[in-house]
Amino acid sequence: MTADEIRAHIDPMRHEFAEERSLVLPALKFAQTEKGYLSTEDLRAVAEAVHLTPAYVESVASFYDRLYLEPVGRRVVSVCVTLSCMLRGSDEVMEHLCHREGLGHHGGTSEDGVITVQEAQCLGYCDAAPCIQVDADQTRGPFTVEQAGELLDELRDAPVPTRYVR
Amino acid sequence: MPQLNLVYRQREAGDHLRDLSDYRRAGGYEALRTAVTTMEPDEVTYSLVRSGLRGRGGAGFPAGRKASFLPKDAALPSYVVCNADESEPGTFKDREIMEDNPFQLLEGIAIAGYAIGAKRGYIYIRGEYEHQALVLDDALRAARQAGFLGRDIFGTGFTFDITLYRGAGAYICGEETALLESLEGKRGQPRLKPPFPAVAGLYASPTLINNVETLSAIPPIVERGADWYAGIGGAEKSPGTKIFSVSGHVMRPGNYEIVLHQTTLRELVYDMAGGFRPGHDFKACWVGGSSVPVIGAESLDTPLDYESLNGVGTFLGSAGCIVMDDSGCIVRACLRLAHFYNHESCGKCSPCREGTSWLEKILQRMVDGDGRMEDLDLLEGLFGRISGRTLCALADGAVMPVRSAIALFRDDFVRVIENGSPRPEPMMEVAVHG
Amino acid sequence: MADYAPVDLSAGDQVEFELNGVRVSVPAGTLLVDAANAHGVEVPVFCYEPRLGPPVGACRMCLVEVEGMRGLQTACSTPVQPDMVVRTNSPVAKDAQDGVLELLLANHPLDCPVCDKGGECPLQDRTFRFGPGRSRFVEPKRHFPKPLDLSPRVALDRERCIACYRCVRFSQDVAEDGCLTMQERGALSEITTLTGEPYEGRFTGNIIDICPVGALTSIPYRFVSRPWDIDNTPSVCGGCAAGCNVELTVREGHIMRVTGRPDPNWEVEEGWICDRARWSYDADRAPSRLTAPVIREGERVQQPDLDAAVDAAALVLANTGRVGVLIGPDATVEEAFAATELAHTGLGGAPVQALTIDGAGLAPLRALPTAQLGDLDHAQTLLIVGGDPANQQPAVELRARKARRRGAHVITVGPRPHALESLGESHRSQPGALRAALEGLGDVGEGSLAICWDEADLAQEPDAAAVLARIGREREAISLEMGHGANAAGLRALGIPSTGLREQIAAGEIDCLLTVHADPTAAPGAAEWGWALGRVRHIVAVATHDDQVTERATVVLPAATHRETEGVMVAMNGRAQRLRAGATPPEGAAPGWELLIALGHRLGTPPPYRTAATAFAAASAAHAALGALTHDDLGTLGRPLPQTPVAGNGHVPDPVGFSGDGLPLVTVTRIFGERASHRSQALAEARTGADITLHPDEAARHGLPAGARVRLRTAHGECELPLVIDPDQPQGAALVATGVPDAGVERLLPADRTPVRVEITPA
Repeated sequence: MTADEIRAHIDPMRHEFAEERSLVLPALKFAQTEKGYLSTEDLRAVAEAVHLTPAYVESVASFYDRLYLEPVGRRVVSVCVTLSCMLRGSDEVMEHLCHREGLGHHGGTSEDGVITVQEAQCLGYCDAAPCIQVDADQTRGPFTVEQAGELLDELRDAPVPTRYVR
Repeated sequence: MPQLNLVYRQREAGDHLRDLSDYRRAGGYEALRTAVTTMEPDEVTYSLVRSGLRGRGGAGFPAGRKASFLPKDAALPSYVVCNADESEPGTFKDREIMEDNPFQLLEGIAIAGYAIGAKRGYIYIRGEYEHQALVLDDALRAARQAGFLGRDIFGTGFTFDITLYRGAGAYICGEETALLESLEGKRGQPRLKPPFPAVAGLYASPTLINNVETLSAIPPIVERGADWYAGIGGAEKSPGTKIFSVSGHVMRPGNYEIVLHQTTLRELVYDMAGGFRPGHDFKACWVGGSSVPVIGAESLDTPLDYESLNGVGTFLGSAGCIVMDDSGCIVRACLRLAHFYNHESCGKCSPCREGTSWLEKILQRMVDGDGRMEDLDLLEGLFGRISGRTLCALADGAVMPVRSAIALFRDDFVRVIENGSPRPEPMMEVAVHG
Repeated sequence: MADYAPVDLSAGDQVEFELNGVRVSVPAGTLLVDAANAHGVEVPVFCYEPRLGPPVGACRMCLVEVEGMRGLQTACSTPVQPDMVVRTNSPVAKDAQDGVLELLLANHPLDCPVCDKGGECPLQDRTFRFGPGRSRFVEPKRHFPKPLDLSPRVALDRERCIACYRCVRFSQDVAEDGCLTMQERGALSEITTLTGEPYEGRFTGNIIDICPVGALTSIPYRFVSRPWDIDNTPSVCGGCAAGCNVELTVREGHIMRVTGRPDPNWEVEEGWICDRARWSYDADRAPSRLTAPVIREGERVQQPDLDAAVDAAALVLANTGRVGVLIGPDATVEEAFAATELAHTGLGGAPVQALTIDGAGLAPLRALPTAQLGDLDHAQTLLIVGGDPANQQPAVELRARKARRRGAHVITVGPRPHALESLGESHRSQPGALRAALEGLGDVGEGSLAICWDEADLAQEPDAAAVLARIGREREAISLEMGHGANAAGLRALGIPSTGLREQIAAGEIDCLLTVHADPTAAPGAAEWGWALGRVRHIVAVATHDDQVTERATVVLPAATHRETEGVMVAMNGRAQRLRAGATPPEGAAPGWELLIALGHRLGTPPPYRTAATAFAAASAAHAALGALTHDDLGTLGRPLPQTPVAGNGHVPDPVGFSGDGLPLVTVTRIFGERASHRSQALAEARTGADITLHPDEAARHGLPAGARVRLRTAHGECELPLVIDPDQPQGAALVATGVPDAGVERLLPADRTPVRVEITPA
């Protein structure tokens, strides 16, 4: 994404912050909607738009789980594995999805590049445990192992998103 | 076992209050009108002080007193910041407020802003709550359009607006100074205190920072009076209602807004949350989110309020009540929490960065069948070297559930060290929403 | 490394408190760590570093017990309160120290035997004094691929890192380059730059000095010495005129490393040194280093021993008619004094000239009260006029940034773009129009004013100097001269003129030239000097490296570098400081002052001193400007020379016009684009060459594409350079990089350093 596109997105909210630096997260999140992750060029563009060094911007981005500095799948499937979900079978769901997609224990991206499966920490849907969030869509649950597998099939068949909110 | 829906006004109304007109019909924005048209800002603060309302995010600090710490004659503008970074394991109460009753939160923030003389408030919402953020986006638009935000609110000259700021996935940003750092565009790492946010918070300005539920409790207090609120429940230091999120091995997980002190843990777990599957019973419970000491069946008859829970060695915390039945393995539960805190440690201070990672490694070894008896002493030694020595409370939160578990369920640990720990069958029964 | 801030126990407004059972007092507001240190109690620290700004309380190493306060307190962030009762050695405090160390060591590789830091490592030392006797950690340690080259000069070992954030804070809050950061979080936190980029800058090496473990080490020093093999000597850097204090690490007579001083000179560099000061030491062993004397007779070149060479030099000097003495700005006070004495006695009143800037028009500025670099910290307004301190006197850059962080308003005025322009208010002056720019400033900021002014730029514009001096007087400003030449101020104190000799040579009045650390073909006027050198029959050169003078000298006497000799150098603001011989010179070389004294003996005029200290004492006795100081008086931190104010009469002289045709030539200098960097292997990758920079419009007007080689011509000489096009450069000027060895740029400039225009054509 270019610095100009980022500026166009953040300029309307500049007046809401006493310091320009505050725009770094909105800028990063917006830049990520293009490819679903942040390339070094994206980091440079954000840095230019908010007048910070690219190293600083990368440092901030690397702090947060939902900003990706490496390419990820078209859809990112986050399986909550924290205690409440674990008690209701999230490990089984996670293992099933990883096995199904041919991934290691802690997830990864499927060979066809469509699905990234990752562990998530408590997503705040413990009443729907075990729960899964796709990208930044509303978290859903509870999932059985079979239902979780079907979810991946649905995602494979779904149209390619035009932008990625993660 | 009284439930009283003050914050969850939508439950009284019988349906969500995402439309401003519905919220108005349910009495919404009368409190803001009362505050700005009939009360001095200090009166609002004083009212909060008298109400006895305590911070609902986890620390339970008196909300009115926190507001009163803001200097009156500061050179810099004051801010209200709403902590909507709800990330404490087992806690999902704020999610429902933002999703189904967003205007009550916005109204509460506006009243708080009026009390401290702020012109702008921020809601810092966790990145994973994008769905709730979209609801709030709509609510903010509607409130602005209706004149409940913006210039000259209720024709009083009070000007106030709210910015919604989305996080990007970091538990630590629920710690108030880490949240402020993140909101300032930095890595979300806690600050050295003092100074506290009331004196130098966002952009080094006086800042009032409160949890979603705390701020949402303000409209009913202003509307019906501090004394009325202070009289709810009957515990001296725990007036009012509190939403408990119940999850884990219960039949009806969900949010329950209860009158503090009037409900016991047993009532919450068995009567409201539906108890356990046939053949299983209560084993352990982290009543205030995952960062509090675990308690066992002997504490089931404890009234749910700040003091009584302290009395049985735990905390009310965020009231994210995680319940485990006798099918669960306490050591595995501890490992899972240790993994969480290790993953979420910001890495700024050494005892937390190194301690949470060490803690997870030891527990993992135990679960893998390589535990040693001396590990129990090692863990105890480690806890003493972490807790109370870190920059913020995250590491204490990592220590307390495990330290208490070893104290309370030592036999379980010994068994796991001796025999390893086969993974228990998870509960696969479909939950009935509470 | 300055672990603790200095505390003035004699200052007023003291508060009393109890420290480990003893009542002590410190100035109000002192932080507990510093207060304890001042009273001989070590509170161990890792992240605390007083020079890095407010404490961050991250490492938790300094936890202490304070009566009445809940839990333990970080001594680094707790100011002393009256009657506070503090225990740093109670069982709880000791357990905290022990505990933090146990945790820090849990994942530390403990590879001390192969670590460059071993033996001088705060983590090692504090573990010994405060730490656990054994580790209870039996888990697999955290692993990172190691080591990583953060730059060609700094290696990063992430496994050794204890995440104290010192280096990151240096980058963000001291050098303000923003390039070094912490990435990821928690146990995975790691120090890094933007992925794939090296950590480049002017001050990067300081992160090695402040690293409390072996995570950041110097690549040129990697596996070179162990701490018990080395000697450390406090000395002064001769790289520029700022006079930064440094420490020389010496092993078996060779310089192995240069670092900031562990006990910084707070008045000067505060312990921060630039990368050139740190890594150019290997220039002493460059291929061009003169290691043996040379005698040339026609085509015959002999390499005799040093004594024979001195005899030969004396013969040449005694028997070649009229002698002139030319002294370079890097010569020490002792060398310059011995040379002038020799001129007056053994050489029968030979004329002497220093290769320094003729500052006749600078007298009113030099009459303003002189600032130490440390004084800039307290200025409310900082006015920087001309120059490019970041490249020319780097210590000024860090002080200016610090002043800005402390709230100072920074105003820059000058003809060339530079790094400090972004600190505040920037006024770019037209070439030759500094005076107008200064007069256009109106009110110059508020409160106490410090003026930093460039010697070369203001010497070129004496009208601006007079106006600036008036502003200074009116505002009661303090003044910091940003000078050129490591000891130019010392030569000035000795009363050595900056002009005269070249004209005498040109007039055929000089037959023989004695040069002391002087190569005029590398200075403005190179073309004229080159011609002049051709007119003398013999040259006797006292020099450290091979250059155009030594190549044509009849006798070359190899001299010690400033890392190999005793002596005094006077920094740009008149601060006299001692060089200490860390290394020994090559066998065929000797300190310049020794060679000059020996020449005096051979010429039958033995001077009454035979050491550097007695030479300095004699100089000091002969020249009031040296304030009757001795080597002992100067100690390890040096002293400001007394200022002899010259009353200004307020007269504003006429501007000096540009000569020639074409674009006004504005010189620029780059920190790694000069002699020492080009001689140093360690700085090979940082080196920059000579070029001409034009604004795109200016280049278009000349029909020149970027990268083209262009011919530059002035009334004085010509040269060829590559063209750089940069939209951030001013229009109406040609910016030409000077100081690069063998680039020939100095040929474009007149010896009197008056402003010139340059014609630019495709080469």
